[in-house]
Amino acid sequence: MRRLHILCVWIFLIPFTLLAESRPTREILEDLVLANSSQTQGLLDDLSQTGDAFVKEFVDSWRIGEVYLWETGEETLVLHKVSEAYHRVSTNELLDLDADEIAGLSKARPSRKLRKALKKITDTIDLVSPVESVRIDAVRKLGLSGNAAYLPVLEQRFEVEDSKKVSRAIEEVLLVHRLKNSEDSGESLETVKRLGEIRSFLAKESIENVLQMALADDNEELVLACKLSLRSINNRQTLVNQLGNLFRGLSLGSVLLMVSFGLAITFGLMGIINMAHGEFIAIGGYTCYIVQNLFASWFGVQSAAYQWFFIVSLPVSFLVAGVIGLGFEKAFIRFLYRRPLESLLATWGLSMVLQQVYRLVFGAANVQVYTPDFLMGSFEIGGASLSYTRLFVIGFALLIVVATWLLLTKTKLGLYIRAVMQNRQMAASLGIPVSRVNSMTFAFGCGLASLAGAVLSQIGNVGPSMGQAYIVDSFMVVVAGSVGNLLGAGISAMGIGVVDQFLQPTLGPVMGKITVFAVIILFLQWKPGGLFPTKSRSLED
Amino acid sequence: MKFKQLISLLGASVLGVSAVSAEDTVKVGVLHSLSGTMAISETSLRDILLFTFDEINASGGVLGKKIEPVVVDGASDWPLFAEKAEQLLAQDEVAVTFGCWTSVSRKSVLPVYEKYNGLLFYPVQYEGEEMSPNIFYTAEAVGQQAIPAVDYLIEEGYTKFYLIGTDYVYPQTTNLVLLEYLLSKGVPIENIGGGLRKDANGEVISAGKYTPFSHTDYQQIVAEIKDFAAGGDACVLNTINGDSNVSFFKEIASSGLTSDDCPIVSYSLSEDEFRSLPTKDLVGHLGCWTYFMSLDTEANKTFVKNFQDWLAKTDVTGVAKEGRVTCSPMVLSYNGVYLWKAAVEKAGTFEVDAVVKALESGISFDGPGGTVTSQKNHHLTKNVYIGEVLEDGQFEILESFDNVYGEPFLKGSFK
Repeated sequence: MRRLHILCVWIFLIPFTLLAESRPTREILEDLVLANSSQTQGLLDDLSQTGDAFVKEFVDSWRIGEVYLWETGEETLVLHKVSEAYHRVSTNELLDLDADEIAGLSKARPSRKLRKALKKITDTIDLVSPVESVRIDAVRKLGLSGNAAYLPVLEQRFEVEDSKKVSRAIEEVLLVHRLKNSEDSGESLETVKRLGEIRSFLAKESIENVLQMALADDNEELVLACKLSLRSINNRQTLVNQLGNLFRGLSLGSVLLMVSFGLAITFGLMGIINMAHGEFIAIGGYTCYIVQNLFASWFGVQSAAYQWFFIVSLPVSFLVAGVIGLGFEKAFIRFLYRRPLESLLATWGLSMVLQQVYRLVFGAANVQVYTPDFLMGSFEIGGASLSYTRLFVIGFALLIVVATWLLLTKTKLGLYIRAVMQNRQMAASLGIPVSRVNSMTFAFGCGLASLAGAVLSQIGNVGPSMGQAYIVDSFMVVVAGSVGNLLGAGISAMGIGVVDQFLQPTLGPVMGKITVFAVIILFLQWKPGGLFPTKSRSLED
Repeated sequence: MKFKQLISLLGASVLGVSAVSAEDTVKVGVLHSLSGTMAISETSLRDILLFTFDEINASGGVLGKKIEPVVVDGASDWPLFAEKAEQLLAQDEVAVTFGCWTSVSRKSVLPVYEKYNGLLFYPVQYEGEEMSPNIFYTAEAVGQQAIPAVDYLIEEGYTKFYLIGTDYVYPQTTNLVLLEYLLSKGVPIENIGGGLRKDANGEVISAGKYTPFSHTDYQQIVAEIKDFAAGGDACVLNTINGDSNVSFFKEIASSGLTSDDCPIVSYSLSEDEFRSLPTKDLVGHLGCWTYFMSLDTEANKTFVKNFQDWLAKTDVTGVAKEGRVTCSPMVLSYNGVYLWKAAVEKAGTFEVDAVVKALESGISFDGPGGTVTSQKNHHLTKNVYIGEVLEDGQFEILESFDNVYGEPFLKGSFK
């Protein structure tokens, strides 16, 4: 029986062996919350012995303010709020508090110093996390902390680790540590060679130091090994950086594609110089905000259903902007089809009116749209990290392109749209309901702009002038990709995104952007019609 | 006939009113952007100034005269600031002006104040390297914000510093001073992130990473910061201004960098700006100002309560009443008015030269953020606080530095 007990502990809490007889974690945590600064160190030592995964869960809640103090009159209890219910920490007993008692609770917050100390403990807990990437992060943090006390823990983990990636990370940090503290040049030589073989980025600095010392000592063999290792590490790093640039370029390209696709329809296909395009983008952002608030009041911020507000707000924002766009088309855009310059002035006016309306309704300050939990975080591919929000943006942009392409080529409405855009009179004389098709097309373009705004709420701000930041970029994409050609808009968006991200590391964001503008201007000098100029008579009308 | 009578009656009454007002009131200019991009920050300063004037008028005014505010709108348009300043000085003949937020607006009104020998109080943290005889800088100089924050971080054990800002005069100058300061503190140059730009002679002309105003794509920079912070003990010194902070902090949050791994000190974000930022993404990051709304002193509690009461009953158009907070630039405006009042009373006249002389002699005022004292170099000695952002958009004060001297000329002073 006792053996079984120890075995269980072994399986769950591998790096720690000294815990069979210690106090329950929950009691230590309650004491820690109430402790004064002289008592904390002892409690922290106790806590680091437990290795209980609950410590991490509790510390996270403590940080974000979900741990409360309750003065009952006789004693102070520490409460842990878990999905709207209050538990006493030391006993995990569920407490039924009335509204007055809840109002009387005070938040407990760990000091910065304490959090730093707790971080070390939670990192060792992360070492046994079921998630591979969390384990890798923990290995790097512990290994590079320079604290030799963690090394045995890491070595122990290495013995039982079955993920190759994590094992490699452990080997890497152990090697780096050995190299930093190596006294013997033979050992250094071996370590440097091995670090070169596994192309360790983390070791670069240490190898450079060793190289300096080897040069000073005239140790030719070591110098050669260092240089070879550095070369292979640098090659790998360049590759990873390029890969990262490509990812980031595609993600920036997707943002540009989304913001410009609506314009590619209203300006590109219909010929309206739509200066209010940015304000239709803002409709999407504000719709997200409204849906978020509705969800918060219906389901409560803590509930699982609340997390879905973002997904729900996507179709809603498309519909809202579509209906509003339809209204504007009927009200005055339809009088402007043959007068592009007047359309510029009228839509510019519309843009100012809409911005003022947003200010009056939602206030001049930005509103806050939160990121749902499933979009938080990032993952790594070959050393380059990509966040879930960015991946979502790329995927969603792709979806929009495919959906638009299907609509335009596979549906009757799409056929009508293409016919009307090519030649209005001819389409009308063939019995196509031209004015209805125009309305639908404009509404569709506005809906796409609004979808972009909804997605942008996850990566930028939502405010009255949010559209202004994107309007110039949108026109740039549409013009460079040939007015009237959706494929061209797509390719030019991706091209601009990728070029921008590849230029940024060397030129910086400001010069990078200027260079992109200059390249586009030169490109348009060379090809005035853009990437795919349409050869049709209708444009000369 | 009747019409003419009416006109003359009207004229007489206007003359009469102005004759009375000339005796009993003193005109004071308020020069802030009430429209355009800066309006969101600057209207709060207009509000606090009007509140301060009402408070002073209720307790008897200045030298027995009531303050009559002349509010003009700079409209976030820098040349317009100069025109409006000229209007205040030449036409309204104000005794003093409280105003400006951006350094570029201050630079554009400076020659006007020197030409008309006016007096301007400037309340917002700035880059230094300036000292006009006609301006009083109640603002935080670099030595009263950026440098104490760095001191705190070094003390906390951070060894790597990444500099990032919006591309204009305040971040560029501040970061150059910070670069010199960090080097003088023994931080090796490879531990200062963001990149350096050198001129032909090899002298550093720009330190840190810069983005244009309203920049939205921070992927590349955040990836760089993540690499920079991988080895631990790294922090970011952030002088990004305005909306771009939203994109920046969202990108940081989604990259998985937490405030425990790599804290970010933001020099342009105070309680007032948090009203339009995703505070959730900022929790645990740091701020450094000479005042925080959360200061636990009697003077501050009274000040906050009086301002809230004034907001509740004021009938000035355009004053937002909901969710209002107080922040450092607001308190520095408030302190400025009281310092001016004390100086006028000391000099016994509203005459600019006498008032400046009184201010230069050193006048103290017990403000909501502690005692401030005017210095001969037109800056203030004041307390500096380091705070950590909480979920409700307030700061928890971590550290305070008492009576920090205001020194505008720091470049080249660290060896």
